[in-house]
Amino acid sequence: MDDLFAPPAYAWQRLSPRYMALRRVTTLLVAPIVFSVPALVVGLAFDLWWLAAIFWGIAAVVVVVRWVLVGRTYRSWGYVERDDDLYITRGVLYRTLVAVPYGRMQLVEVASGPLERSFRLATVTLKTASAETDASIPGLDPAEAARLRDRLTELGEAQASGL
Amino acid sequence: MSQPPVPTTDATPVQDGATHPAPAVAGAPVVKQTERPHPLTPFIRGWIVFVAIVLSFGPRFFEGGDDGQGLARLGLAWIVAGVLGLALLAGGAGYVSWRFTRFVIDDEELRIETGVLFKTSRKIAFERIQSVDIIQPLAARLFGLAELRIEAGAGDSGIRLRYLSRTKSARLRDYLLARAHGSAARLADTVDGPARDVLFDSGVADKTLVTILPGALVGSFLLSTEFLVPTLVVVVFAVGAAVSGIGFVALGGIIPMALGVFSLVSRRVIAMFHFTLAESSRGLRVTRGLTNLTSQSVPVDRIQGVRLCQPVLWKPFGWWRVDVDIVGYGSNDREDSSGGATSVLLPVASQAQVRLALSRVLPGFRVDAIELTGAPRRARAFRWFDWWTLRYGWDDRAIVTQHGWLVHERHIVPHAKTQSVRIEQGPLQRRLRLADVHIDTPKGPVHAVAHQMDATAARELALSQLDRARAARETAGLELLHPGDLRPESDEERAVGDAVLAELGTGRDRFLGEGGESQVYALDAERVVRLYRTGHESATSPVVDQLRALYGFWARTSPPGGFGVQLPLVLDAGISHGRSWSIDRRFAGESLSEWLATADVAARRAALASLLDAAEAMARLPVPVPGFARLVGDGAPQSYGSLVELLTAMLAGAVARSHDDLARDVPGVAAAWDRLQRDLAQRNVTPTLVHGDLGAPNVYVSTGTGTGTGTDEHGPRVTGVGDFSPHTLQADPLMDLTGAVTFLELLGYEEAVADSEWLLGVAVQRYGPEVAHWIGVYRRYFGFYFSDTAELDPRTYAWCLRQLEGE
Repeated sequence: MDDLFAPPAYAWQRLSPRYMALRRVTTLLVAPIVFSVPALVVGLAFDLWWLAAIFWGIAAVVVVVRWVLVGRTYRSWGYVERDDDLYITRGVLYRTLVAVPYGRMQLVEVASGPLERSFRLATVTLKTASAETDASIPGLDPAEAARLRDRLTELGEAQASGL
Repeated sequence: MSQPPVPTTDATPVQDGATHPAPAVAGAPVVKQTERPHPLTPFIRGWIVFVAIVLSFGPRFFEGGDDGQGLARLGLAWIVAGVLGLALLAGGAGYVSWRFTRFVIDDEELRIETGVLFKTSRKIAFERIQSVDIIQPLAARLFGLAELRIEAGAGDSGIRLRYLSRTKSARLRDYLLARAHGSAARLADTVDGPARDVLFDSGVADKTLVTILPGALVGSFLLSTEFLVPTLVVVVFAVGAAVSGIGFVALGGIIPMALGVFSLVSRRVIAMFHFTLAESSRGLRVTRGLTNLTSQSVPVDRIQGVRLCQPVLWKPFGWWRVDVDIVGYGSNDREDSSGGATSVLLPVASQAQVRLALSRVLPGFRVDAIELTGAPRRARAFRWFDWWTLRYGWDDRAIVTQHGWLVHERHIVPHAKTQSVRIEQGPLQRRLRLADVHIDTPKGPVHAVAHQMDATAARELALSQLDRARAARETAGLELLHPGDLRPESDEERAVGDAVLAELGTGRDRFLGEGGESQVYALDAERVVRLYRTGHESATSPVVDQLRALYGFWARTSPPGGFGVQLPLVLDAGISHGRSWSIDRRFAGESLSEWLATADVAARRAALASLLDAAEAMARLPVPVPGFARLVGDGAPQSYGSLVELLTAMLAGAVARSHDDLARDVPGVAAAWDRLQRDLAQRNVTPTLVHGDLGAPNVYVSTGTGTGTGTDEHGPRVTGVGDFSPHTLQADPLMDLTGAVTFLELLGYEEAVADSEWLLGVAVQRYGPEVAHWIGVYRRYFGFYFSDTAELDPRTYAWCLRQLEGE
């Protein structure tokens, strides 16, 4: 079954293992914050603390599920630079394989937020003329991100083709 | 202070204030005549705001709903005063913006100056213009005015010139589009078309392809799912409300629905009224609208995909709706009613009309001819409602996906336009070994998704699609280098051709010959008319212009005695009835290929020996750019670092097309390819001009006995070389020598092969034994170069196979 998402004749490049730590931190932060806002609103303003408890319950479930899946999520990510295109795979439940021809790349973006920076990680995003091309690789070592950016830009220029 | 005379505060001056001298800018060498939009502009803009307010608030006022009562309490007088005030304000703003808007459109530049406090001057290179549309809101239309909207590049807001007189805007549109396509048109040369109708707008040279009759438009609208579903809901609500006696409450649900239906009517019927798809000399053009008349050019080369839709009730009538993805129009993922660009190519059309439109968008592509594969039965679990409609398929041009039953949709994406490919699979799909494949295209109505495919097939499709996309991309750059499909002329095309020929003073009876791109007719003893095929205007016009420039260059640099052979010269060129034509100098003598079939052996060999002289003459021609280069075609002149780079690029398109044929017919073709690359890499040569197709059909021979000029007493000899083409390069002189020797084998006369062998002997005698080796190398080069002819020209293809196998 894994064949469906395997790259032809290449092995996946994996993300930096630090991505797992980042993922754990975001897991602990994001869902509790997102669900606390409505919980506090209904609790403080309308005194519906039972509803607030439900919100926090959902947050707890999300945190637990994401925490448990951290390892699998990390392993689900992969990318490979082929001769003419870049493959990216991701997703545990909903799996995706994106192939972007270098000739179609319009820009390559490296981004690193404060949280990512504290883990020495960066995200590389590829943009094509299509908004549906959802090709970004998070959790890269900054050196690898810079290498990937330069290589992709170089290949993109070499193979660029008009629309 | 040279303040231009301007109309005073009167918002509706009657004199034509079109041209005023611009205030002189210090140091500016030439004071240009800048223009203002039409002086009625402020009045019309005020009027449009007035109508907009009345239309949007009027219904609420009269409906007497909750808001209406609130408004009604204000008193009618106040409301009227408010509306008039707003309209006057808009008119005032319109006046200011009109007063400070100036533009220049002339033979050198396109410049627009706007702004009251912050002056902006925008100058746009003609080549960057993507489209020029004409929009006529009802108010403007009543006064014979129109808005000219110029788009220049994606992400650019574009320029709106409000308002110009209708004839003027049409003339500027035709001119700008001509310049945008690189033609050296002059504004003074563009002519006003026949007086334009209030209801229609057509360019001078437009040919109507499809007109949608009002009956079909309204009928199809009434039967469309988008209309029937909300209408049914409204009716059910209304009946339910009446029966249960809570009619007033239900209004809350019905009114938004009804408004939705109303907006649908305005988008689908009013905005699409009188929909006309026409073929202009610069691509397709859509004209539509009952109140707002919009005329929009559809740049065919920027179409990224096509969607065909058929609501279920259209099926008995065989109607389809056609939308396209146009890059840069992406923000309009809808059919627009406000007069903006639309993605609709045909709002409703019969099977035949769809085919006609598709033949312009994707020439040679037959959507019905593609074999489609359905989804496996187990896909029922997900798509129980339409699993039998899920299909996909492809040919060498494009990929097609289908889905939907209530509204059946077909999405077509040309391989070259594929942006990226995705496989997606959810957890349940994984259980059933199913997956979706998405072909991503720029924003727009087209979303080609092959739903619920078998997982193995999905992977196969995704990977092979990447290969097809790559091959198509590589080909796309070189497509223009090869003559297009030699499809026979349709009756209409013939009629247009007849008209053009008659206009130029010749006719079908004076036909001289034809090639992939053009037909040649005699005009008089000195001149011929070359008539380019339709469907090639956009492709050939750069070629025509480039060749014209090249011939002109040689004419200027010619030494007193000439180059030894007569070269072509374009005397005049133009476009009429949408067909490109040129008037060329007529060659002395006759076509070598026809003459060879009739001449005796001694005469033949004398002429052929002089063909080698002609090849030498080619190598002596002055070259326009330094280094190895491609001289004619899209993006030319394009320089290359080395011979092998240039020739590999030249081969890429042909080989991409013939890849499958060669893999089948030539054992060890990969080795042959590698060997050719190695051989070419060893060639050390100074670049010279290469005709690229120095075969007998492109060469003219004068017999010593004839009346032609430039003959001498030494018998028949080659006196002219014509038909330079996208094959023309700056490369190795031995390429033309190879052409001269080996293309003979392609001729039909009996001793052609023997003559070729004899000529090879002459060449070796003249230039040394090493030449034989290089002729062998270039034989293989041409074997690859012309290898995409398997279907079009099996004889040439067979010749190619012999070149590639004969090693």
